[in-house]
Amino acid sequence: MSYNFEELSFSEAKDLLRKWRENNERRSDDVIELWTSVISDNVAKLGNEKHLVLEQVMFAALDCHAYHIAVMCTCMLSYEFPNSMRVLRYDAAYNEAKESYGEALETLDKIIKADETNAAARKQRVAVLKSQGLINEAVKELVDYLKKFMSDVEAWQELCGLYTRQGEYARAAFCAEELLLHQPHNHLMHQRLADIRYTMGGVDNMELAKSYYCQALKLNPDNMRALLGLFLTTNNLLLHYKSSGNASKRKELWKLCQWAQSAAARRQRAARAAPATPDLTQAMLALAIHE
Amino acid sequence: MGEISFETAAYAKMILHAAKYPHCAVNGVLLADATKIRDGAKNQDVDIVDTVPLFHHSHYLSPMAEVALTQIESVAQANNRIIAGYYAACENFKDNTVDKCPGQKIAEKIAEHFPSAVFVVIDNRKMMQHLVTAAMKLHNFSEGKWKPIDHNNVLFHSRYVLDTVSHLLQRGVQKDLVDFDNYLDDLSQDWTNLGIEKLIASINASNTIDCKED
Repeated sequence: MSYNFEELSFSEAKDLLRKWRENNERRSDDVIELWTSVISDNVAKLGNEKHLVLEQVMFAALDCHAYHIAVMCTCMLSYEFPNSMRVLRYDAAYNEAKESYGEALETLDKIIKADETNAAARKQRVAVLKSQGLINEAVKELVDYLKKFMSDVEAWQELCGLYTRQGEYARAAFCAEELLLHQPHNHLMHQRLADIRYTMGGVDNMELAKSYYCQALKLNPDNMRALLGLFLTTNNLLLHYKSSGNASKRKELWKLCQWAQSAAARRQRAARAAPATPDLTQAMLALAIHE
Repeated sequence: MGEISFETAAYAKMILHAAKYPHCAVNGVLLADATKIRDGAKNQDVDIVDTVPLFHHSHYLSPMAEVALTQIESVAQANNRIIAGYYAACENFKDNTVDKCPGQKIAEKIAEHFPSAVFVVIDNRKMMQHLVTAAMKLHNFSEGKWKPIDHNNVLFHSRYVLDTVSHLLQRGVQKDLVDFDNYLDDLSQDWTNLGIEKLIASINASNTIDCKED
């Protein structure tokens, strides 16, 4: 969806920025455009959101390499919070964006020394290593971090991603299991673990993948990845049990496989048969109620 | 050594995919016109007529890649096309080599089925809103390795290809590109990107009219 930024009112722009901030959407170029076209002339009108917006714009500006905006935001913030660690961290981010990694790490170390519990600075160290392409070092750093901050879901997720990237699927699976413990009702966590198990291969892993896909579908029947994954795993297992001749298991799998296939096909048909028209009927129905 | 030629739409989709997710690694497959391919011959001319953008996250997990490739293969066969290559862009700005790209296994599998397969690495450093060069590095598979191809062997069907794609980038068309990940999130999205193809066709048409007037 694209917006015509110049036509947005101030409060609409503010709401949009809040939405992106809260959903953690990385739409840096849009943020910068909103900032330059609507917000920047009326910073004082932001009220109690002012500092959050400045921080958001600062990071977006670094992402787009619009350094003048980033420096301006940092200046405004550091004027109000002269000794803040959080503002000092922007300095590190600025150096990171400029690829002065050594200086960025130095600043971060300074923050960590002053405040050992500063999780954000520690995580940013990992990011600096990652952007240098030092994946092994980043993994080591992140593991150390997780020993101290065990309940950081975001960090487990990142470690899981780094391990899959390295091809260390068993370790990635461990991280995914940890994530599952933190968010047992999140269907994506189940699906992720199933994906990893499927990638690892072998009958035991396939059986595990099957269970996790099923659980993901139970939590969210609309998870298409889980549905297709279930179809693949059951197919795979059927092939295996065919040779080992386990009749009862095969029958059960067959049923599951058929179900997954028909459900996936149904969903694809429904999506294809639904161009623009249902929106219209929905709109008509909504009108009817008001009358 | 055969020649490799690109249709504007095929090239545009690769660049737009990389531009849509500047902070992610992206990958996809190249489709060639099957009628011009001779079976089993090595180093033949490959005419890339279309590309399918695949993923921008979870690159190293296989289930969805399997689903995507089977679906693409069946659609491609129906249109008399074959999977003839692979493209990828790295997450890290400075990584522009095959070894740093995700999904090398997919690429090798493609090369197994089609020996003249092409591996395109999108050169992050040359990506810009006004493309000066094609911003890609091409490789082909020989002796178990991806070897760089001499760029004299790479052709574009239209000589306005860089202008056309730059124009699309400036207009923000990348936001409308759909990859297979987007499709799995919302099945009503069209991963063949027919809309973008039509847009490019109309730009191409107006370009040829302008030519005649000159």
